Amino acid sequence: MLPTRSTNVASRVGRSFLAFFRIMRANPLTFAGFILVTIILVLAALVALVPSLIIPYGATQDTGAHEVAPTLFRWPPSLAHPFGTDQANIDLFSAVLRALPLDLAIGIGIAGIALVAGGILGLIAGFWDQPGTPGGAVSVVILRTTDVFLAFPSLVLALAIVASIGRGIWAAILAILITWWPYYVRLVRGETLAVKHLPYVTAARAAGVRETRILTRHILRNVLEPVIVYFTLDIGTVLVTFSTISFIGAGIPWPGPTPEWGSMMSFYQGNYPLEQFWWFITFPAIAIFVTALAFSLLGDGLRDVLDPRTRRALAESSSASTLPQEAPPTAATPTTPEQEEEAEEADES
Amino acid sequence: MGRNLEDLLIFIGKRFLQLLPVLFGIILLMFLVTHVFPLNPCPRWYPKASQQVLANCEAQFSQPVLTQFWTYFTKLLAGNWGASQFGQPVYPVITERFPATLELVLASMFLMIFIGIPLGVIGAQYAGRWADHLVRVLYLSGWSIPTYVGAIVAAVFLAPVVGLPAGHEYSTTSPPFAQVTHMSVVDAILAGNFPYTVDALEHLILPAGVLAFIEMGNATRMTRSAMLEVMPLEYVKSARMKGLSNFIVMYKHALRNALITATTVLGVTAGGLLAGTVVIEEVFSWPGIGAYAFAALGGGGEPNFDGAIAVVIVFALGVVIANLIADILYGVLDPRVDWR
Amino acid sequence: MTTPVLSVENLSVDYEVGAGVFHAVSDISLVIPPGRVVGIVGETGCGKSTLAQAIPRLLPEPPARIRSGKVIFQGTDLVPVPKAKLPMVRGTGIGMIFQEPLNSLNPAFRIYDQIAEAVQMRHWREDGILPSFHPGPAPFDYSRRPITMPSTADVLSRPVMPGTAKDVMAARRVRTRTDLRDEVLDYLRLVRINDPETILSLYPHELSGGMRQRIMIAMALSAKPALLIADEPTSALDVTIQAQVLTLMKELIDEVSASILYISHDLGVVAETADDLGVMYAGRLVEFGPVAEIFQTPRHPYTKSLLRSIPTRYKSDWPMPTIPGSVPNLSQLPAGCRFHPRCSLARPVCTQEPPPALRVIETTVGATTSHHAACHYAEEVPGLP
Repeated sequence: MLPTRSTNVASRVGRSFLAFFRIMRANPLTFAGFILVTIILVLAALVALVPSLIIPYGATQDTGAHEVAPTLFRWPPSLAHPFGTDQANIDLFSAVLRALPLDLAIGIGIAGIALVAGGILGLIAGFWDQPGTPGGAVSVVILRTTDVFLAFPSLVLALAIVASIGRGIWAAILAILITWWPYYVRLVRGETLAVKHLPYVTAARAAGVRETRILTRHILRNVLEPVIVYFTLDIGTVLVTFSTISFIGAGIPWPGPTPEWGSMMSFYQGNYPLEQFWWFITFPAIAIFVTALAFSLLGDGLRDVLDPRTRRALAESSSASTLPQEAPPTAATPTTPEQEEEAEEADES
Repeated sequence: MGRNLEDLLIFIGKRFLQLLPVLFGIILLMFLVTHVFPLNPCPRWYPKASQQVLANCEAQFSQPVLTQFWTYFTKLLAGNWGASQFGQPVYPVITERFPATLELVLASMFLMIFIGIPLGVIGAQYAGRWADHLVRVLYLSGWSIPTYVGAIVAAVFLAPVVGLPAGHEYSTTSPPFAQVTHMSVVDAILAGNFPYTVDALEHLILPAGVLAFIEMGNATRMTRSAMLEVMPLEYVKSARMKGLSNFIVMYKHALRNALITATTVLGVTAGGLLAGTVVIEEVFSWPGIGAYAFAALGGGGEPNFDGAIAVVIVFALGVVIANLIADILYGVLDPRVDWR
Repeated sequence: MTTPVLSVENLSVDYEVGAGVFHAVSDISLVIPPGRVVGIVGETGCGKSTLAQAIPRLLPEPPARIRSGKVIFQGTDLVPVPKAKLPMVRGTGIGMIFQEPLNSLNPAFRIYDQIAEAVQMRHWREDGILPSFHPGPAPFDYSRRPITMPSTADVLSRPVMPGTAKDVMAARRVRTRTDLRDEVLDYLRLVRINDPETILSLYPHELSGGMRQRIMIAMALSAKPALLIADEPTSALDVTIQAQVLTLMKELIDEVSASILYISHDLGVVAETADDLGVMYAGRLVEFGPVAEIFQTPRHPYTKSLLRSIPTRYKSDWPMPTIPGSVPNLSQLPAGCRFHPRCSLARPVCTQEPPPALRVIETTVGATTSHHAACHYAEEVPGLP
């Protein structure tokens, strides 16, 4: 039994590796997104771990530029200061880079916590949805609550929460978290409901597999894929939303020890004529845009492959329904692991 | 199978009744956010208010929670939505400024329908080819640009290039006609003033365009994926076999069915557009409730807590109504839905 | 000799997919004379639907690609026709019935609108409002035909109808509308629908599968096509409904002057409807000839095995004869004869040399079609037991 299991794992890894390459080959944009995300993650790790390696100046540190021309601050972009300097002669290149790990951590962290919290609630609401049982009652409550939360545009509800409980980075993060989880409840519940009635789950249940085991082995695995893809796409959205909240003035104060893109832009936009000092906001803006776009490109491309709707259509349009079964559709070939799973399950019981 | 007018009214009525719990939930959530979560909020909410206002605020919080909720609930329904810290009531301001926001949102929606949806069709038609990639880059760019960046770029850098005004509803502050509806274009048309209609439209293009571009992603993506689902179906082929041109096949036969699925994003899109107005209206000096909320939240003005919460409630109502419209549209567009 | 309605010459169609190139149709030649019913049979995935859709150029290109060959419809090769010009061929020349009655009618429109659209298109082409396809041996005219507008003199010389001009226009509009409706009703009656008036205002989901397929047939016929392609029109229906639709098809074949290409995986259905029969295997036409002759003396081992595997009441040999092995992957076809790995008669030459495409075996005296088979040893194929 053991050797087959390990070869199974090996072949599964090999297969997903292959699927990954097919996806990347199928759409150059997804590949571009993947490359960009990798670069951004590596850069963020470097900034966080060995800042001296790539950041030329500490964010609040004087740049030394005034030694050349003591009266002239606000240097336009040059070789020494690729993004220019601001009114206090802070090197914007350093500031934008130093903000990267924080903004990225906020994006990944908020989306991640929302994923876990919303995901668990969504699983509950999707799996124990029999009306008339305690589980059914719980799932109704969960769903009605998400209905209410989803009626608010998340940015606006977050702003209201910040206004109510007070400003600051933690308030902003908490506010976004409160508004973010319902999307994951909906997504996970939908996927759970879709998987729950598939023939192989019914078969497993008929074979006497315990409910919790069905949940963890069959449903969780199938739900995970679309959720992770949505999560990838979501990181960019969280980033953009958080920066908007900071822009409106509820984030981390700037100028200060901790640079953050949204608050930087808020400060410069409010205090300086941008036609003249265009580099003040251009580079933080590009930083947000590129980071969000990288995750969106990757997530959207993956979602296209995993979305049952587009997946079927893409496969059909590129391999035609008339072809024999052996003809593999364009990209990911799903479901096979589950069939193996079935066989394993049968062996065990 | 009932699909006559009477059935439609029943259908709409049912949907409407289903909204009531959500509406109650919205009020409840706003109550929690404003009355239960915050600790000692009065000085923070009304930093410059008179002692009288502060005392009222404190007195309100000293009551039992249920009483507080009842007061809050009845006041909301009665149109008493609080006041700024200097005593200016919120409700009249909201009703006066709301039409301008509605106009902006509807204009963006219009652009989205006539640009975003065709883009989705093009993306599906050329799936996997450069036109599709271009469409994808377009809507993902909108998705990834923070609204304020898009607004600033359009207002500061784009407006001079394209020669469009970036700010306010008209070129003059006081147009020579009555502001009946408080929607700039509609008022100008009602007054029969053609130059002002053109002027108002010119002022509308940039803010509505930016808003539409930034929020286009959902509509385009959904249209594209629904089209991809519909296009290989046989009725599209049988439409082709009638000898219809590609345009008719795509936009009449395929899109008609794809739109049924695409209506589901209307609510989310409306939410995005409304949220976008907070920043867009501020940057473009648009006299709607978005700019009011921006100022109320302390962005360059005195904080006005009651005003901010009122706008949030209005936006939630907007999303709920958009969802209701989406439900009804779905029922009307899909002949398989039984209205009874 | 009459000019055939359709002649397919050495047609090859590939699908270029990420995973490789699939040769769905290879080197197929086939002739459909006017008024004749040609059946095509083959297993799932042998390329018969691809063939059916390649003729009116209905395949999505890419991924499908017509590698070589000609599709000559009424004297014009359709393969080089640019995509934008295809609607005029499809509208008036070729009609098609699809397999899946569930999906072949648009769920969002009423039955009347869908048939009326087809009738209207034909009217517009007949009136010269839309460019139309010229039948006959003349080369295909790619240019848009000028819209023939009545001259002012014509209009003035018409007899004046009583009433004002507005009344006349209104009367004319009403008349054309009722005409259109009458014509739609005619086509519904043609396909034996008992209560066509009520059907008109219904949506497809309110009808049964058999009903939908009848409407599909009515819609295809309403364009008055010279060639009707029926792609497994009965396969997706229940057996009883299948019989009804099949009866209808057979009756219509006698009534309608169109030539018909009838695609099916069911030998029995084809035997009942077709005059000529083609057998496809792995993208190739392996045998072609008059139906009766092929059923009596199949000259290709595949056809023979196929005929042997039809369960009948009379035969009692158990287990049921099947063909060993499975259909080859269309991207990795075996060298030589594509059937050789499964053929009981295979010899060394079969593994290397592809058989001649459709060698004439014999021509029965008096028959219009001669019998062809693509096999090295066609003459040696033993007769049916």
